[in-house]
Formats: sequence, structure tokens, C-alpha cells
Amino acid sequence: MSIVTVSNLCKSYPGFSLWDISFSLEKGVITGFIGRNGAGKTTTIKSMLNLVHPDSGEITYFGLPMGGNEAAVKARIGYSTGTVNFYPKKKLGELLKVTSSFYPNWDEGVCKQYLSLFALDTEKTVSALSDGMKVKVNLLLALSHHAEVLILDEPTSALDPFSRDELLDIFLHLKETGVSILFSTHIISDIEKCADQLLYIQNGSLLANESLQAFMQNTAQSGETLEETLLRLERSARNG
Amino acid sequence: MVKLLKKELFLSAAPITYVFLEAAFLTLVPGYPILMSGFFLTLGLFYSFQVMRENNDILYSALLPIAKSDIVKGKYLFCVVLEGIVWVLMVLLTLLRMTFLADSMAYKSNALMAANPFFLACALMLFAGFNGIFLHGFFKTGYKYGKPFFGYLAYMLVLVGIAEAAHHIPGLSALNAFGFEAIGLQLITLLVGLILYIIITVCSYRASVRKFDRIDL
Repeated sequence: MSIVTVSNLCKSYPGFSLWDISFSLEKGVITGFIGRNGAGKTTTIKSMLNLVHPDSGEITYFGLPMGGNEAAVKARIGYSTGTVNFYPKKKLGELLKVTSSFYPNWDEGVCKQYLSLFALDTEKTVSALSDGMKVKVNLLLALSHHAEVLILDEPTSALDPFSRDELLDIFLHLKETGVSILFSTHIISDIEKCADQLLYIQNGSLLANESLQAFMQNTAQSGETLEETLLRLERSARNG
Repeated sequence: MVKLLKKELFLSAAPITYVFLEAAFLTLVPGYPILMSGFFLTLGLFYSFQVMRENNDILYSALLPIAKSDIVKGKYLFCVVLEGIVWVLMVLLTLLRMTFLADSMAYKSNALMAANPFFLACALMLFAGFNGIFLHGFFKTGYKYGKPFFGYLAYMLVLVGIAEAAHHIPGLSALNAFGFEAIGLQLITLLVGLILYIIITVCSYRASVRKFDRIDL
């Protein structure tokens, strides 16, 4: 059952265009979103969150269009755009207090559980946290209100290997509970570890939207790993 | 709406903005261009917008479970509430000058504007200018505040200059009436000021919502 659908999404900037992006996110499925820097991952994710105004296309959550239902939709999803880069001099506790007041289904127990798991100190200011810890703050905000869908822009990129491993385990656990996850990354092993579906974007166009298994069967050459396949595709695109 | 306002008041606002609420008491200073008391509040609001941008507040707000238009609503609410507090203080202090202090020579010999309903109307026009020029200008981009504030400053200087000097123009001396002299005319100017404040603020808010919805964050 599709709980998020992106249909024919287009967005043009000078020198870059996102072209006809369509995919859907299924309940209890982890989707890895991969592509080189500037390929269009962040623009796609920002469009899905209404941070960027698409030129055309439609985005629906739970059967409802994002436009007109933004507040209701956002209360049911969790999202993060990289590290926390707001209110650097505020204590984490203050930020949590204000943020939680906006979510009708904020779960203080779950919040405390992730605070402990991520070893986050609410007395620390955001600026006193490392980049990795800032990513965890974003994840904490996304996970503490029982989101049914998580949309995460490069959640693992600033994390150490141990934290990354913990986070990917959390993804797998959330998947078991029916949460749908879309995460973009440059780290191919993250996709290999936990993604069921693969979205591969190149120069603003979606080249692959299929299960990881199907992608390997259809695209990988004999003996190639996922990383080798993606690097080959990028090299051939670069060489025309 | 309450949550939005609380967020603006307790998280987003610069603490110094609240210090500028005290500028309302400049209404009592004899021989002072008292309309500047309203300007000092708007200067305080401007500081809050600087701090909000420094803290990436627009992006933080956009990630909350609220509509994009609610971000605009929160900022307008914040400004309108603080303008309202200062204006109510000005009303009380103006009433004090119009009653108990009506015969004070320090106020009667003042070459500048007297504290009366016309002054209160001008204060509303000052706030309307802030809402219409600065707030609307800010939400065209969501981050540029220099040019909109410069535009508002130009408006403020013209308004304060005209308002403070208007009663020296032949035929307009009633605008500077003491106590309850010419109260009918004075109240009409107040009513016009109030109506214009509401119209300009509502139009500015609607236009800001439309503009802000179109920009990419």
C-alpha cells in the first residue's frame, strides 16, 4: 500500500532541472535514495516537504495532497534535512520543549528513550554538539512523535561507523513496526545493509526505481557489487 | 495560534525586543518627539528578525507540523501583539497627559506633538508602515531584511516629521489640542488611524502569505 506518492515532479533552476520524478513509498519498506552531489536528491526531498515549490507534479501522503493538508501531513511524518543548524545557542531541552508542543502525538517516553540511546544531553546547547550528534537531534525530533513515514536527507553522512550501524539497526526495527523510510545517502554500504527499494537519480532524472534485488539483476554486470555498478553508471554518464 | 505565538515570544524573539516595550514611557517626556517611542518598538522588532535569521528560524519553523502560511502568521502575530502592548501603554499615558497633567506648563509649552488621540492615530500609522513595508518586504525573500527596513525608515522619518510639525501649519492647530479640546476631530483621526492600521496589516499579511508560499527555502 502506497503511503507516499510523488508523481511527475519537475523543478528547474538555472543550470539544473529535476525532471519527471515519480515514485512511491510503501508501508514498512526502506527506500535508499542515491545519486552524486547535485543530482537532485535534496531538491526532491525538499519538494516533498514543501520547502521547495515544484514547477509541476503532485505529492500525496496517506492519499491526501500535501497542498492544503500540510500541517496534518507533517504531524504524521518525520523528516530531517541533514544536521540541526538552527538555534545554535539554545539548550537542546528548550528546543525539545517548543518543538514537542506542536506535535499532538509527541511521546515523551520515546523521546527519553532516544535521548538515552543517542547519549544526548538536554543541558547542552546545539552549538556544543558534534555534527554527528546534531544529526541525532534531528532524528530524535523525527522519531519522538510516532511518525509513520521518515524522510531523511543524508542522515548517516556525519556519523561515525558505530553510530551509523546503530542507526541502521533502528531503521530495521522501525521497518518491522510498519514505518516507511526514505533516506538519501552517498554511503552505498548503508543501502546494501538495510534498503529494500532503490531510487537512483542522475542529473535530475530518476534512472532506477525498483527493488535492490531487481536493480542488481537488471543492471549489475557479472560479479559486480552495487558500488561498482553505480560507479560504472556514473562513469559512463560522465563520458557521454 | 497560541502555540505559534508562544514559540515566537519564548524561542524566536530577541530578549532586547522586550526592553524596547519600555519606550512607550517616552510618551511622558516633555519636549520630546513622542512618536519616536513607537519607532523604538519597531527597532526592537527588527532586532528580533535579525536574531531569527541568525538562528535559521524560518527553516526550523518550516520543519514544524504547520502550514507554510503559519510561519508568516506567527511573525505577524508576534509583531501585532507587541505593537498592541506598546499602543495600549501609549493610550494610558496619553490619558494621563490629557487629564491629570493637562495643565502642566512643561507640556503646554512643547513645540512638538501633544499626546492626544491624533498622536495615537499617528502611532498606529507608524506600526502600519512597519507591517506594510518591513514585514511584507521581508517575506518576499524570507531572509533579506535590510532593504525593507530601509524603506520603513524612510517612511518613518517622513511620517514623524509631518506628524510632529503638522500643527504649525495654519488651520491644523486642532491636531495638537490639549486635554479634551477638539476631541471630536481628534477621535475621528484616531478612528481613521485604527481602520487604516487594520486594513494595511491584513493586506500586508495576505500578500506576504502569497509571496512566501512561492519562495524556495
